[in-house]
Amino acid sequence: MRDIDIDKLAKMIDHTELKSSSGEGKIKDLCVEADQFGFITVCVNPVNVKFAAGQLKDSDVLVCSVVGFPLGMNTTEIKALEAKKAVEEGAAEIDMVINVGAMRDGKHDYIKADIEAVVKASAPAHVKVILETCYLTDEEIIKACELSVEAGAHFVKTSTGFGAFGAFAHHVKLMRETVGPDIGVKASGGISNIKDAMRMINAGATRLGTSAGIVILEGAKLLKYATDSWLEPEIPCHTCPARSASIAKLPKALYQYYTNKCMKCEYREKYNKFYE
Amino acid sequence: MNGYMDRIIKIDLTTGKQEEILISKKIKREFIGGRGLGVKLYTDMCPVKLDPLDKENALIFSTGPITGLIQTAGRYQITSRSPLTGTIITSSSGGFFGTAMKKAGFDCLIVTGKSERPVYLDVNDGKITIKQATHLWGADTHETMKIIKQEINSSASVACIGPAGENLVPFAAVMNDKDRAAGRGGIGAVMGSKNLKAISAFGKKDISVHEPEALKKMISTLNTLIDKNPVTGKSLQLLGTSVLVNVINEHGMYPTSNFQKGVFNDAEGTSGEKIAESILEGRSACFKCPIACGRKTRTSTRSGEGPEYESVWALGAQLGINDLEKITEANYTCNELGLDTITTGSTIGCAMELYEKNAFPEKLIWGDSDNLVKIVEDIAYKRGIGKDLALGSKKLAEKYGKPEIAMQVKGMEIPAYDPRGVQGQALSFATSNRGGCHMQAYMISSEILGSPVFTDRYSVDGKAEIVALLQDISAAVDSLVLCRFLQFAVSLDTFKEILNIVTGSDYSEDELLKVGSRIYNLERKYNVEAGFDRKDDTLPARFLKEELKEGASRNRLVKLDEMLDKYYEYRNWDKNGVPTDKIMKELGL
Repeated sequence: MRDIDIDKLAKMIDHTELKSSSGEGKIKDLCVEADQFGFITVCVNPVNVKFAAGQLKDSDVLVCSVVGFPLGMNTTEIKALEAKKAVEEGAAEIDMVINVGAMRDGKHDYIKADIEAVVKASAPAHVKVILETCYLTDEEIIKACELSVEAGAHFVKTSTGFGAFGAFAHHVKLMRETVGPDIGVKASGGISNIKDAMRMINAGATRLGTSAGIVILEGAKLLKYATDSWLEPEIPCHTCPARSASIAKLPKALYQYYTNKCMKCEYREKYNKFYE
Repeated sequence: MNGYMDRIIKIDLTTGKQEEILISKKIKREFIGGRGLGVKLYTDMCPVKLDPLDKENALIFSTGPITGLIQTAGRYQITSRSPLTGTIITSSSGGFFGTAMKKAGFDCLIVTGKSERPVYLDVNDGKITIKQATHLWGADTHETMKIIKQEINSSASVACIGPAGENLVPFAAVMNDKDRAAGRGGIGAVMGSKNLKAISAFGKKDISVHEPEALKKMISTLNTLIDKNPVTGKSLQLLGTSVLVNVINEHGMYPTSNFQKGVFNDAEGTSGEKIAESILEGRSACFKCPIACGRKTRTSTRSGEGPEYESVWALGAQLGINDLEKITEANYTCNELGLDTITTGSTIGCAMELYEKNAFPEKLIWGDSDNLVKIVEDIAYKRGIGKDLALGSKKLAEKYGKPEIAMQVKGMEIPAYDPRGVQGQALSFATSNRGGCHMQAYMISSEILGSPVFTDRYSVDGKAEIVALLQDISAAVDSLVLCRFLQFAVSLDTFKEILNIVTGSDYSEDELLKVGSRIYNLERKYNVEAGFDRKDDTLPARFLKEELKEGASRNRLVKLDEMLDKYYEYRNWDKNGVPTDKIMKELGL
C-alpha cells in the first residue's frame, strides 16, 4: 500500500464531471487535467462526448459516457440508442444505469436484456453497469452482478453519485467476490481522498470514478510517510453503509433493511457508544 | 545560487554598522532559507543567556529561495527569542514584504543592537539606509506604513510595529502590508526594544531561476492543485478562514468562555457565513495567491481586514461575545496598534474567568463587548487594566494566584481548538517549539478537515508520528518560504520539485523532510538549553482532568502522557524530551 505507483493509480481513475451545471468550459478543463495527470478516461454526460473526444484527439485519455443517467429509468431502446450515439461520437467506455426499480421487483430477465442491449449497441466500447448499490440489498447486489456478467458487461459499478449514498468498501467487496477476477469493479460516489481510494482498491475495485482524482494523486505522494493509523480501517461503523442510511433519502424498506443490519451487527455493542 | 540573492546583512543599530554575513553552501543545503536559515543564524549568534529584550539579541528577517516566484511566496519569517515564552520564536507573515525584501537584493536582514533614537530601515535596491523615525514613534501601524510609503516610494512594502511594540508588550506583532501580521510570540516587542519602528523594502532585482519554463508549468499545476482541493479551492476562497467557526463549533470544540465550554451558542452570528452576509466588502490576496482568504470588511464606523478565524474566536467566543461588529472593531484595533489577537483575546478571557472566580479586582463580564476596544487599547499602551493584561495570560494568572486559569503552553495562549476534541492537535500544542501554537503541526487538517486523509480525532494511535511528520514538513515549507495553506493541496514531493526547479538542486523528499527535522531539533535544542523539557510539554490541567459537559467532544480528556512517550521515542529524544546525541549527530547538529 505504501509503495503505490502514482502513474498506475492515475490509470485507475475515471476523471469525472457529470453535474448538470457544468458547461463546456468545465469539460475542457477536465480534459486538460486528465491529460496532464494521466487519468485513464474522462467520464462525461452524453451531450459532452463529442466535445471531449475533440479535446482529447491527440491524447491517450479515453472518453467514457454515462447512459440512462442518473436514474436508469429510460427504456432499453433509448439506452441502447444513447450508447450507440455516444460510441459514434467518440466514447470508448459506456457507464449505463440499470432500472433499479425493476431490479427491486425481481424482474431479472428485464435487467439482463436491458444490459445486453446496451453491450451490443456499444461494441467495441466497454460497458460498466451501474447498480446504484445504495438502493439494493446485499442479495440484490449479488444478483445484479451475476446478471451483468451473464449479459456480457465488462465492469460492474457501484453508484451514480446522485443516489442516497455512494461507494462503500462493503459493496465493492461483495461485487468483487461475485464477479470474480476477470470482470472490472468500479467504485464511484463520495471518493474524495487517498484513504477512500485505497479502501476501495483494497476491497477489490479496479477503477475509481471521482472528481477528486487530482487531490487523490497528490495525497498518494504522502503515503510513503503514512503510519498504519492513517490507513487502517477506523471504527468499522464509520465505513459501514448502514451508518449512511438516511430516513429522508432511502425508501422505507431499505431504511429498515439497514437499520436491522445495524441492530444485529457484531460491532454495535462495542462501538455504538462512540457515535457522534 | 539560483533562487537566492546571496546577500545576508547584519545591521547593528547601536553603531549603525552594516556587515555582510557569508554562509556556506552546506548551510544553505541543510537549512534552505526562511525559518531554517533564521534559526541556524540565530542559534549560532545568540547564546541562551541573552534576554529577548537585550540590545544584543538578534532579530532576523528572512526570505527563502522560492520567495517572490510563485503563488503565496510573498511571505517572510522573523526569528528571535520570544519575550512571551522565552523559547526561540519564528513568526511568519504573508502579504508582499518578503518579495519586496528579496527583490531589494537580500535573503536575510539581521538586526542587532539598539538605536539611541527611533529609526527605520530603508531597504532599497541593494542598499540599506538607517533613517530617523522620531516622527513615527507613537503612530499606529497603518499611519506608519502610509507615511513611510510617502517618504520612500508608494510601491514599497513596509513591516512595522505599532504602539504595542514600542511599549514592549510581550505579545506585540509586526505588521506589514496594512493588515498582515507576524503575530505570535512578541516579535514586535523585540523590534521595539531596538527602537526600530519599521523596515521599508523596495527593489526591482531579478530572482534567478534554474528552469524558468518548468517553473511556469509548475505554477499552472499549482493553480490546478489549489483549485481542486476543497479547502483551498472553495472554503477558504468563499468564506475565508472563519469558515471554520461553524465547523469547529459543530464538533463541540469551539472554545467558549476561556475553554470552559466547547460549544458557543452564538457561533452562527460570528461565522464566516455571517461575515459574508454582513460586513464583507471583498477578498484580499497575498502575493499571486489564488486563494485570497483575506476579508476586506466594514463596520458602521470603521473599515479594515478580518477578522480571521482565530481572531473572531479570541475576541468573540473566548470572551462569550457575540457582537460581530464589536469583535471586528477590536480586531482592527489589534492590527492598528500591533497586537497578536490570539494572546490579546485569550488573556482578556483569562481575566474574565479570574473575575468570575473572585480572583481579579476589575469587573470583566462574559459577553460584555462595550469596552472591548478600549481594553485592547489599554493593553497596547499598558495603562489602567491594560498594565495587568499586557502580561499575557500565564503571568496574569500567576499574579492573581490561579495559574491553572491560563490556557497556554510555555506561556503562549492556545488558539481556537479545544484539545479535548482532537488528540493529535493536543499533542501538537504541547510539543510546539513556540508554545501553544497551531501552526507548527496543523492536525486539524486531518482530524477535522480530512486533508490529506481523515484520522480519528479521538484516537491517540499513530498521532505521535503524524504530529512529528507534520512538524518537520511545516518547518521545511517555512524554509522555502510558502504559505501553510498550500499544505492542504500540495504534497512534500511537489514542494521538493518546486525547490529543485528554482535552485537546480537535487533534493529528494527524504532530504527535504530531514531539513525539517534538523530545524525542529535545532529549535528544540535551543529551548532545552533555555530550560524547557518534558515538564513544559504539557497542557493546562483543564484539558487533562476536566471533561466538557456538552457537545460532540463531551466526556473526553487529552491522553497526553501516552502520546508524549511515543512522540519522544519517535523523535529519538530521551524520556525528558531532550534530543539524544544520536539524533543530533544524524542531523549534523
